[in-house]
Amino acid sequence: MDPFKPTLTSEAQPEAPNEAQAQQAALQSIKQLGQTGTADDGASPYHCLTIIGQIEGHMVLPPRNKTTKYEHVIPQLVAIEQNPKIKGLLIVLNTVGGDIEAGLAIAEMIKSMKTPTVSLVLGGGHSIGAPIAVAADYSLIAETATMTIHPIRLTGLVIGVPQTYEYLDKMQERVIQFIVQNSRIKLEVLREMMFRTGELVRDVGTVLVGEEAVRVGLIDGVGGVAEAIERLHQLCGAAQGEGGPH
Amino acid sequence: MLYTVVPLEDVLDGIEEDPPQLVDVVLGGVLLQVEPLSNFSYRVERVISSDPQAYLNLQYQPGSIIRWT
Repeated sequence: MDPFKPTLTSEAQPEAPNEAQAQQAALQSIKQLGQTGTADDGASPYHCLTIIGQIEGHMVLPPRNKTTKYEHVIPQLVAIEQNPKIKGLLIVLNTVGGDIEAGLAIAEMIKSMKTPTVSLVLGGGHSIGAPIAVAADYSLIAETATMTIHPIRLTGLVIGVPQTYEYLDKMQERVIQFIVQNSRIKLEVLREMMFRTGELVRDVGTVLVGEEAVRVGLIDGVGGVAEAIERLHQLCGAAQGEGGPH
Repeated sequence: MLYTVVPLEDVLDGIEEDPPQLVDVVLGGVLLQVEPLSNFSYRVERVISSDPQAYLNLQYQPGSIIRWT
């Protein structure tokens, strides 16, 4: 039997007195300590990391941007990885991209974690969001979510010298390699999508919506939070089977 | 170097405005960079700590308001 399936009602009945006991304990806690409970009360074994807005890197972005600050996310990942109480990590993405180095840093951290990780792209996982999405052990995309694959460029600057072009090319190669190594997508397919014309206004690139991202092999499956949590249960079960994630 | 679908001029809109003045405070043994607000409260800008657990503390998340009492 799947240990993570919700138990039947007959088995759930004995929980009623436990609930009363828990309430009693909570009341006791309020009386004695003036607080509603200790950190352990009903704590989720999974942590949820949201990657939102712009991924802020070496430059502090103006306050009108919503940002994900990488210098804050990285130590959080360290804390999650070394905390034995945290059994898994759910990464929820709704990002428009951002700093390449910061994005790749977060992606590399997630990739190298032993703690089971599942990513869920909601809304958008564009540009540098793509490597972060594929870095997790299992990646999911919502049906209506989109991912834009496009080349790296310097807006407003004409690339005049070959060195500039080569530098951009090198940066782009880092992103491409990371995505290819961490998903099922083929190098040629990704490159072709990046430079496709006729799909984006004023730009080259490809917009993938939900299912399409799965079909090309970028993302593992279509789903929402239920599928993400279920997958974490499975991954955690597998990890515990071989001696636990820690 | 930015890799984003948002036009650069939108991302950088307001970059020339003065950044807020930040001060360092130690709270619960953790060094925080905060922006002083009116009436003895501070908005957390960032955590500076080598203790990774400090970054999971909800009170220290960037943007949260700390009231000095």
